[in-house]
Amino acid sequence: MKSLFQKVPRLVIAVFGLAVFGLARAPLEEGLRERLVESNLLMPPPGQGAFEQMSQSALMGTLGGLRSLVATYLTLNAFEHFSTKSWDDLRANYLIITNLEPRDESHWVSVIWHIGINATANMEIDTRLPAFERERRFKEYAFQAIELGERGISQIPGSVAIRLQLAEVYREKLKDDCATARIYGTIIGLPGEPAYARRFYGYFMARCPGREGEAYDYLMSLYREGERQRLPTLIKEIKNLEEKLLIPSFRRISEADPDQPGKGQSPASRALPGGIIVP
Amino acid sequence: MSETPTTPAESTPRTTPRAAGKSVPIFSIGRVHTIASSTVTQLVRMKTFYFLLAFALVVVAVGNFNIPATPAKELSMIKKVAFGTMDIFAWLFAIVATALLIPKDVEDRTLYTILAKPVRRIEYLLGKLGGVLAVIAISLVAMYAICAAVIFSRESLFVSAEYQSMVASGQYTGAEIEEQLSLIRSQGLRAELGIAVLASFFKAAVVAVVTIFLSTFASSSLFTIIVSVLLFLIGHAHHMASSFWLDESGNSVLVQMLVKVVKVLIPNYQLFSFSEGIVQGEAVVAALVWQMGGLTSGYLIVFLLLSLLVFVDKEF
Repeated sequence: MKSLFQKVPRLVIAVFGLAVFGLARAPLEEGLRERLVESNLLMPPPGQGAFEQMSQSALMGTLGGLRSLVATYLTLNAFEHFSTKSWDDLRANYLIITNLEPRDESHWVSVIWHIGINATANMEIDTRLPAFERERRFKEYAFQAIELGERGISQIPGSVAIRLQLAEVYREKLKDDCATARIYGTIIGLPGEPAYARRFYGYFMARCPGREGEAYDYLMSLYREGERQRLPTLIKEIKNLEEKLLIPSFRRISEADPDQPGKGQSPASRALPGGIIVP
Repeated sequence: MSETPTTPAESTPRTTPRAAGKSVPIFSIGRVHTIASSTVTQLVRMKTFYFLLAFALVVVAVGNFNIPATPAKELSMIKKVAFGTMDIFAWLFAIVATALLIPKDVEDRTLYTILAKPVRRIEYLLGKLGGVLAVIAISLVAMYAICAAVIFSRESLFVSAEYQSMVASGQYTGAEIEEQLSLIRSQGLRAELGIAVLASFFKAAVVAVVTIFLSTFASSSLFTIIVSVLLFLIGHAHHMASSFWLDESGNSVLVQMLVKVVKVLIPNYQLFSFSEGIVQGEAVVAALVWQMGGLTSGYLIVFLLLSLLVFVDKEF
């Protein structure tokens, strides 16, 4: 052994030792890596698309283990694009950001908000563009936001915030009541579900052609839960459905239509200060 | 020093390699401690801690960015920048300081004085590594304190402002207010962030010991720094790059072998980036942290032994 140490250069023995250690640690490290990724402590490698879109400095930073820093820098850069209304650059930034930190819910919410709400709103008022082009880009941005939303949900299946933002795009921009109802429906039962999600599911289902009967049953079940759920919009939607579905009067709810204050209100409730009764 | 005086008759060549007439223990923690302390002093004199001022400036600046983000997102951004900067400082310092120390001792001829005394080379290497790690640990703790102060002050501000505005609006129930405040608190100062600092320390420790190994046979500090940085980048990227490379080459046997060689010889630094998940608010799995600690110890022991193997017979 001693003669071996004398004959072979020490560096060669060291490299051999390094290789033996490498072979021993490789399976251990692979197992550890899998467990760290499973527990979300370590992020999985970014998609190849992200590498192709990154600038050299961002790529070096990412490869050097500075993913969070690169993502933060790109978020600030995206804000710059938001200020200048450069929506395509903003989207390109967020495509990299969401690839770098796919588990960060706030990135998904931000990009849906920027593209689905801000960019589309800008297309509604940007008179520098011809009307046809504005309409085309409006739809393009809305659909891009929806695609990002679907991707976000596939990355974080339990996310309520992404679904709420996606529902806002369907509701406010595309006026798609059926899709809005579908998204609110998927929120029900998730941890952190807002109290209004069940009601909104019913409201938009009520406006979705062909689902009125199902919506009526659903809203009535909420109505039966008690006063807490009997908000003006719920009453209004049930009233609308009663009319649409020709519900017999004995089965209709007793509350007055909130949009017609004269009906069903006692005179006292309509009294102004000083006892003046509004006709 | 824990040396005990003995008569010349009691001494043997095995226990007294250098000091005739004195029995010298094979290994002395005292000697390692002395070298580590002098290394800390040496690094402090290099004005290492001035970096903390720059760090404080970065964290305070990020804490005052006026961007339209929710309080939770703003806190998350402060944490990411602060912990990212801490991570950079830790590994960069580990490379540069470690690469400079041995050549500087040779240049200043301090190394001859040290090795002329009854100091074993493993004690010298351990002392140097210990000194570098002590400075990194002190810096990380100081940076964490700065970062914690900024996060805590912002969190308190956000929580009180959010509470006041929600109460003033009168539209929210107590449970809804509490839910919103706990969302902000989840991105605020949490005890788990200390584990993120520990993760950066683990990474820096492995980087430092790999750099010590390189500096035992490197011809210059510059070579050690460049090679260490390259190894760091490769060690971070090889898992990401190898799947890309294999895919591009259609799983060629040659590429597979090359990837294997890289994986075997170069440490997998990507594993040590688990602080990113903690900073983002993921729950810490204690068993995994212990395992990472064990892996770090494995790297430290093996690379120190390999460094000793090269360094032990090196002539100066």
